[in-house]
Amino acid sequence: MMAMVPLHLSHFQSLLLFAVIISLAFGTLGRRDPLERLKYAAWSFAMFVLVAIALGWLMYPVSR
Amino acid sequence: MFDDTTGNKTAADAVSVASAENIEPAAPVHEVQPAKAHSARTGAYDLRAIAIAIAGWILPGFGHALLRMWGRAVTVFLAVGFLVYLGAGMRGNLFAPGGEDAFARLGYAADLGTGSFYFIARNLEPSGADVSHADGDYGTRFLATAGVLNLLAALHAYEAARRRKA
Repeated sequence: MMAMVPLHLSHFQSLLLFAVIISLAFGTLGRRDPLERLKYAAWSFAMFVLVAIALGWLMYPVSR
Repeated sequence: MFDDTTGNKTAADAVSVASAENIEPAAPVHEVQPAKAHSARTGAYDLRAIAIAIAGWILPGFGHALLRMWGRAVTVFLAVGFLVYLGAGMRGNLFAPGGEDAFARLGYAADLGTGSFYFIARNLEPSGADVSHADGDYGTRFLATAGVLNLLAALHAYEAARRRKA
């Protein structure tokens, strides 16, 4: 049985990791041309991060 | 007195033409056989596409590897693998079969989307899930996302095998 060290990431680190992995997968699956893939991945990454931060601030008044 | 032969001839001609039009022309042999061959080929493509999709589901990226789409195969394998590794490392909840409510069953379906990685994730989490902290909650999402991403990749491989997408 494999054992692994538990990972402790902050909210923002988790968000960045999630956004990077999913954006790369989206870019590779969604486009054929390498440059188009890179553009699409960068766009997806930016949208993931910006929308998450915007939603976080939007929910901030009702969080306390 | 009245010559009606012209009219009779015309009527007879009309009947013969009409009967000739009612007969459907037989399709030439060389046109029938390619149609059958085409449908047989399409059926073979469908079976092949289904097999590729199942292979891609069982081992992430394998469906694309069978189609010689190496970049996509490696990306899907690494993306799903990393998400499962991170999710298990963060002690996310890996749902088991026979959940009590719809959310647990839906979570199990999403987790099972990772194919063979589901069983690897079970081995990576010897002490079980811990969703009392944010880490565990994020880990649960990572594991579910890995499954859904792999299902999306398997569907993409299926479409590519059917020549609908490249």
